[in-house]
Parts: sequence; structure tokens; C-alpha cells
Amino acid sequence: MCFKNLPIEFDAEGKAHLRPGVLDPYAVKATTNVLTQEEKIRSLLAKNGHIKEVSIDPVTRVAGALAFHSVVDMKERKVEDAHSMATLFRGYEIILQGRDPRDAIFISSRACGVCGGVHSNCSAEAIEMALGVVPPPMGIVARNLGQAAEFLYDHPLHLYLLSGPDYSAAVMGQSNPAILKRAQTYKARGAAVHGFATIGDIMEALNPLTGRLYLEALEETRRAREMTVLVWAKYPHPQTIVPGGISATITLQTLNEYQTRLAYFMDYSKKMIHIWDDVYDFLYDVEPRFHDVGKRPINLIDLGIWEHHEGYDASYKNATAWGDRRWATPGVVIDGKLVTTSLHNINAGLEEFVDHSYYEDWTKAPQKFKTDELGNPLSPYHMWNKQTLPKPEGRSWREKYSWATAPRWDRQVLEAGAYARMWTTASSQKIPKNPYIETTGTSMKMVLPAAQLPEMKVEWVIPHELNAIERNRARAYAQAYTTLVALNNLTAAYDLMKQGNTAVSADFTIPKDHRMGVGFWGAGRGFLSHHLEMENGALLNYQICTPSTINASPRDPFGQMGPYEEAVMNTPITEEFASEAEFKGADILRTIRSFDPCMPCTTHVYAGSQTIVREVNTCACILEDEGEPVPAGGD
Amino acid sequence: MVTSSEAVLAATGRILLGGVGYRNLRDLSAGPLVIEQLGASLGERVDVEDMSYGPVDVLFALQRRDPYLAAIFVTAVERGRVPGSVSRRVWDSPPITPDELQERVAEAVTGVISLDNLLYICGHFKALPQRVVIIEVEPLDQDWGEALSAPGTAAVDAASALIRGEIADLLAV
Repeated sequence: MCFKNLPIEFDAEGKAHLRPGVLDPYAVKATTNVLTQEEKIRSLLAKNGHIKEVSIDPVTRVAGALAFHSVVDMKERKVEDAHSMATLFRGYEIILQGRDPRDAIFISSRACGVCGGVHSNCSAEAIEMALGVVPPPMGIVARNLGQAAEFLYDHPLHLYLLSGPDYSAAVMGQSNPAILKRAQTYKARGAAVHGFATIGDIMEALNPLTGRLYLEALEETRRAREMTVLVWAKYPHPQTIVPGGISATITLQTLNEYQTRLAYFMDYSKKMIHIWDDVYDFLYDVEPRFHDVGKRPINLIDLGIWEHHEGYDASYKNATAWGDRRWATPGVVIDGKLVTTSLHNINAGLEEFVDHSYYEDWTKAPQKFKTDELGNPLSPYHMWNKQTLPKPEGRSWREKYSWATAPRWDRQVLEAGAYARMWTTASSQKIPKNPYIETTGTSMKMVLPAAQLPEMKVEWVIPHELNAIERNRARAYAQAYTTLVALNNLTAAYDLMKQGNTAVSADFTIPKDHRMGVGFWGAGRGFLSHHLEMENGALLNYQICTPSTINASPRDPFGQMGPYEEAVMNTPITEEFASEAEFKGADILRTIRSFDPCMPCTTHVYAGSQTIVREVNTCACILEDEGEPVPAGGD
Repeated sequence: MVTSSEAVLAATGRILLGGVGYRNLRDLSAGPLVIEQLGASLGERVDVEDMSYGPVDVLFALQRRDPYLAAIFVTAVERGRVPGSVSRRVWDSPPITPDELQERVAEAVTGVISLDNLLYICGHFKALPQRVVIIEVEPLDQDWGEALSAPGTAAVDAASALIRGEIADLLAV
């Protein structure tokens, strides 16, 4: 039984149904906890001179518009309150409504300037499900090769250019000078692999713009881009991903050129793992409070990614079966335990709430779909039933404060990330048999073949805690994992070519009857779904749920904080500062950046009209708390 | 004093004309639209290119090419001037702090298309030619959509004419 909050049960054959006798199975009883918390904060602010409101707007070194408000007790060095705000309103669903479904592949790609390919692939799979078209094996493999290459760009980007500078000498020297001093003489265990004698040397190399690791990451992102272009022909925003496969020709030369570049990532992955293991193990050693920076319960969700070319049939009916054969296994982890890998169960438990978001509740209208096509129950708050009605009113912490919605699974706060992908894959042990990656239930063992560095065995062990460091550490191992998924698919591509099995796309027609589809996919930073409904050859509804929508979510109607908020609330202040004026919020920023926020793809709106009247950018600076303006940019 | 290598570059060097901006943002898309309008009409010594694919990717592209004699970039950006006006200036690499530059890199790698970011980043990594000219259109209509405002349309024509003159001057050197 994977559900504990929603009244969903399973019969002897494993078929889901609503528990009999529950009058209103999806009733929402709003909590008053939000109010109680605000009263507590007001009281603290009035009585305690050490309480400081910290508003960071914008949060820099993240993609897009994110603001964060927190209340910090400077004396006790702890965070008392936190609010995550997506400050940008966008409108991809509006543009997509009424269009030919094929347009969604190209338009939704524009939702993200970092990883548009993930939206293209996710959209293609949603359309394939609706159309009933299955790509040929080489088409699936080519998509995987491009998708892996996109991640090989994304992971170093996060680790070295966005989140990584938080651990550079330049930043540590300001926020944690005592730790930096110890780093300068602390021997790096992986020196033989990465070439840095001390942790201090690594931190120097992480310095933005000048550090060796920073500059190397820029170069590696170029190589990854080239690999993406080799198979997808164009990047950013590939034009060759189509329902039924891809429209680019894959030749032996394509594969050879891809392989040449992939070899660099073998060594780069080896170094990356040792660098970040050294930095993070050092931080735990010299400042144990880093265990609590960004800590939250181990509740994770992932939809899996990278189809197996012999498993994927694009049908909803068999989604759980082909999902289980992917190179990354779908799953939900609650309190550190894997509770399901079924894409049907994951889909059935999804809901999106807007009680603290700038939208109106759409559930007053009759529920359109009470079940999926297999009879699995669906909530009125499910994406297939969702209408998004923008309404930026009632702006205060107790009412509405974000353009992000609050996606939940089984009404629990789950987190998305590359680490969720690794977690579900490692614990489920369903990865296809292959020579390079082995999952043990508690770890992922990987063999990185020799390149310039010798063959190396590495093992990502599922951690006992989820915090900023473990999010980032898993991302380093995810680079090796991604590299090896690419290698497996490259091998498959060579085999297919040898067999003369070189077709990359299948024919299809656009049907006129009513169809449904969903893309279960993932971005570099985790979970990605596209739900669609179409009729008369055009889209009726299209809903995108991204990892940052999940992670940046505001409170839900049950009073539960979103993952960013929850993680910041649990964060101790390790930052050194002589006076409150010097406080920079380094631990808060480390926490938020560990999620790799991507706000451009977070907020998507369906407004019932194809016309976007104007783009609204809601600055956190004018959000009111009990009638008093909240200052932006700290004070 | 002109060195021999500079003289050779002046005689044989190519000129880059790059348009920068988002598509489908009406007047704000003037950069790519000017590029479309001018197309291949500027002669074989001019590389005309829509460079709206990200400043860091532009950096990679420039690093792989032979040095240009000069570059002209055209974009639309709101700076409080008369809407539809077209301005020309020479890029003189105004100073920027490392933190500001890092913020621009972060914007660039996360998908923001901006000529200013392109110039600062490519300049920092020494990928720009010595002579860089900026042509800017002041936008009026910045909503989503394809059609430009009347001043925006006129500005695209004016920018194209200005660029033709600029290139003629450069090639005459």
C-alpha cells in the first residue's frame, strides 16, 4: 500500500480504487497553522531585537526569477520562518491551447533556456501516447544520447558555475573564513585523481571566472553541447525531436564523433566525484552543522527517464512496465523508503494546489476526469483536471505569495532532483543489465572505463540524510551515471547499426477523436511531466509540472511548507559575521542553490484564452505582511 | 603604428554582424529581424549571424574562429530613449566587478539572451575584435507577438541603413 493520505486502495490484482464509503475522498480542509506561525513571528519580532527579516530578491546564480524571504534569529543562529516566491508569470499553456499537438514539442522547449531538450522529449512522449505511435529502436536510442548529453552540460553547470561558487575560496573567505583557513592545510584524499593537494586548493580552483575548475567546467559544457548537436542537429531548442522518434539521420560518423567526446567525460566524471567527495567530507569533518544545512525529510519523487529501446511502447496501459525498464527507474521515496515504482501509482497520487499561489481554485467546476483510462482514481486537483486561473490578489504570507503552485503526491511534500533519480534507481534495482552500472538496493556501483585516467570503480551510497551537501554530492555522481547511460546507449546504437536497424522515426497521423497523453520524464534537476488532452486534432489542455515547481512550491492548504522553505527552516547559521549588518545569508543561499532552482520553467499558466495580455513580474518588495512592506534585498 | 599583422587583418579580415534578441517579442526582436533583413546582401567579407543562442555559446563560437577585423552587434534594449530611436556607439569595455561579471555568466548559462552579457563575457575572455560597434533600437511595444510597432518597424529599417554605412566605412579602411 503506497498511499497513506489519499483513500486509494488496491484489489487482489493490484488495481487501484477509492476506498468505499468515503463521502468526499479528495476533500481539502485548510489548516490554520499558517496563521499560528505568523503570530509567533510577529511576537518574536516585537520582543526580540535579534530577529531579522532577510529578503533575497532576486536569488542570484539560479535560473530565472526567485525571491526568498526568511526570518532569522541572529542570536540563536536559526531560521524562524521562510517563504519561497516565484515572481514571474509565464504562459506556455495559453500559447499551446488549440494548437496542433506537434507544436508543443517546439514551444514547450522554450520553457527553459538551460534544458529545452527535456521538454521536447517529454512533450514527444505525451504526444506519442495520445497518438499511439512508437519510435523505432534507433529513434529511442538517439533521443537518449541527446538527453544524456544535455545532462552532461547541466550537471557541471550546477556544480561549478551556479552552486559550486558557494564553496569557493572567494565565498568561503567571506562567509566562513575559519573553515577556509583549515582547508588550506587539509589534505585532499583524492589528490592522485584530481591533482589538488589540499581542500584549499580545490576551493581556490572553484573561484568564479578565474578558478581552474570553473574554467574547465565552461569548456566541458561546450563539449556536451557539441554532443547534443551531433544527435539532435541543433541546440538549444532542438528541432529534430518529433512524435515517433527524431528527424535527424544517425550515421556511423555521428556515433564516432559522439564517442570521442564522451571519452572526455569518463575522466571528467572521475575527477568530479573525487573533488566533491573531498570538499563535502571535509566540511562535515570541520563543521558538523553542515549535516543540517538544507536538511529535510527524505521524501522524494522521480518519474524516471531514458527509455529502453526494447521496452518502450508509448502506451499508458503499459507505462508501469516500460517505466520499470528505463535506465532511470521511476519512484516515490517516503521517509527514506521506496514505496512505489509504478508510473500509474505515481500519476494517481499527483495533485496541484493553489491556495497560496496567485491562482483561483478550479475545482468548483465539475471534475472532468474521475479516473485514468485504466480506472485508477484521479483527484480533481490532478493535472489532467487542472485549469489554471491566474489571480494575483490577496498578497500576503497568509494568503498568496507565489506564482508557483504546490504539487504534492499523496498530499505529502516531496522533492525532485537528480538525487531522487539516483535514489529510486539504486534502491529499486530495476536498471537494465549492463556492464557499467550495478544497483544494489543501497547503492549504485559504477565502472568508468579507462580514458587518459585508468578504469575506475566508484560507488554512490544512498545517504542516511538529505541536505544541501548530499544533493550536490549526488549530482557529482549523477555525472558518472549519465556518462555511463550514454555509453550503454552508444553501444546499443552501434549494435542497431550493425543489424541495419537504422530507422529513427515512425509514421503517424493526427487523429480527430478525443485523446489523452502524458510525458513522464525528467530534467537534469529531476521530475518533469507534461499532461495533455486533445480533440479534433488540437490541444484542449496542456499542463507542465517541472522539478522547480515542486521544489519552489509555497505552502499547501494543509499548512505544509514547500521543499525550499522546509529545508531553509532546518538550516543552522554557520556563517561568521561580526555584526548583523554583515550577515549575507550564505547558508540560506547554499540550501536554495543545492536544489538547482530553475524558475523560468516553474510557472506556467492556462488562462482560458490564447492571448497573453502582458507578462507580470511580481516583485517580492511589495508583498505585504500585516500591512507593512517587506524590504527587498535585505536591510 | 600599424603592425604588419594588423595591416593584413585590415586588408583581408572579415567583419561580423551579429543580431541579438528574443524572437516574438515585437520591438524587442529588432536585432534578429535586422539580421534577417540584411541577409547575405553585405558581401562575402561580412558574416551575418543571429547570435541569440546564448552568450557563452557565442563565446565558444568566436573562440573557434579566426579573428575578425571588427564586429557590429545590433539589438533592442530599453534605456529610456525615444521609442523607435536608433543609437550607435563604440563598445569601450566599461569596467565591471568580478561579482557582476559572474552574475552575467550565471544569467548566460541559464538561458538569458542579452547583448550586454555577451559583450562583457566575450570581452572578459578576449574573444571580441578590437573594434566593436553597437547598434541599439529603443523598443516601444514589448509584448509577445510578431508584429512590430510603427516606430519599431521604422527603427529596423534605420538600423539596417546605419549598418550598411558602418560596414562600407570598415571595408574602405
